[in-house]
Amino acid sequence: MTTMSHKVDHADTAQRLKSLELQAKEAQTTIEELNARDALKTQFLSNISHDLRTPLAAIITHAEVLRDGMLGDLNEKQRESVTGIVSGGQQLLDMIDEILTYVRGAGDQLTLTRTEFSMIELVDQVRMLNQALAAKKKLTIERLNGDDLPPVYADRDKLKHVLGNLIGNAIKFTPEGGRIWIRMSRYAQDADQLVVEVGDTGRGIAAENHELVFQEFAQVDASPSRPHHGTGLGLAIARKLVELHEGTIWVESELGKGSRFFFRIPLNPARG
Amino acid sequence: MGARILVVDDSTLVTDAFEILFRAAGYDVTTAGTVAEAVGHGRASSIDIMLLDLSLPDGDGLEVLEMLEANGRLPRATLAMTGHDDPKIRQRCLDAGCADVLLKPLPIGEILRHIERHLA
Ligand SMILES: Nc1ncnc2c1ncn2[C@@H]1O[C@H](COP(=O)(O)OP(=O)(O)O)[C@@H](O)[C@H]1O
Ligand SMILES: [Mg+2]
Repeated sequence: MTTMSHKVDHADTAQRLKSLELQAKEAQTTIEELNARDALKTQFLSNISHDLRTPLAAIITHAEVLRDGMLGDLNEKQRESVTGIVSGGQQLLDMIDEILTYVRGAGDQLTLTRTEFSMIELVDQVRMLNQALAAKKKLTIERLNGDDLPPVYADRDKLKHVLGNLIGNAIKFTPEGGRIWIRMSRYAQDADQLVVEVGDTGRGIAAENHELVFQEFAQVDASPSRPHHGTGLGLAIARKLVELHEGTIWVESELGKGSRFFFRIPLNPARG
Repeated sequence: MGARILVVDDSTLVTDAFEILFRAAGYDVTTAGTVAEAVGHGRASSIDIMLLDLSLPDGDGLEVLEMLEANGRLPRATLAMTGHDDPKIRQRCLDAGCADVLLKPLPIGEILRHIERHLA
């Protein structure tokens, strides 16, 4: 009786092993298929972004030539209309660029080029670049402090992108007459790290969405009728760029009570 | 007569737009869509400024520079145009003899300013 059951056990185990092996093989094939499909999707996004960019750039150039009166004077209405073509085109271009940056990040094609620079100068530059957009909504953008901070050793362009995204969002999600600020400090637990805060008095984000907003394509309001448009990639890219710096990014916010986005990066990582 | 500009880009949408822009700004403009065409124009007449796209159907845009140099017909200044803000690409262009590398697309005011600066 015992020998009998042993035999059955052996056969059983062998059979189960075989089916496990089969399952593992199937899973492996599925993973490979998914990876291949992912690579295809990435390639597609990269190609389509590039191919969209070319005609769009031409459209913008034509419109600028008209707008600037290089082909003859325009009346005020005509100029307004052509100016609309330029800014619409530029907005579209920004979105395409965001997709391209995301694709390059997803393909691990982004590398850091570190230089030493002043974070306050960078913040002030991004502030200036966004001034016109903010003024349209009667928003103020202030830098509250930072004059005593040492220079950072980091990728200036990439942090400019991060700040641009955070400030761009603050402008987008803060109603007229609101405030946007940037505050910087050394991290309380580790003075070799810099914390940058971009805060706003806008609509805020409910706690259950604090993680979600950093995910690619994620938007709190994703309905086609939503009042704000975008790719949902801005914060996913910002996170990628901050993490490339061995930093972290997070948000503190409550619905209806404004948002404060923070990122923390090493001030001066070992140079190698 | 105004300075002569050669615009090299594989998209006629782009070369058409630049042609209109530069004509309106008073320059003499020629366009090319391939390495071979660009080299042909460069050999036939002396170019003051060449705006050079890097990816052309029959080769790398920088080959144009190489071939014109071999013929002693380098433009006074070549401005490379690229869609990628990549320090490696930038360096490759400068090493090949480009005077500057412009990130596409640039507002027309800035393009014209770059050209004036290199003509001065
Ligand atoms: N400052 C902010 N205030 C309120 N909500 C925000 C803010 N920044 C981002 N969000 C939310 O996070 C989502 C994702 O942001 P992002 O990744 O930049 O994509 P996009 O701006 O293209 O929608 C936004 O759609 C919005 O719902
Ligand atoms: Mg955004």
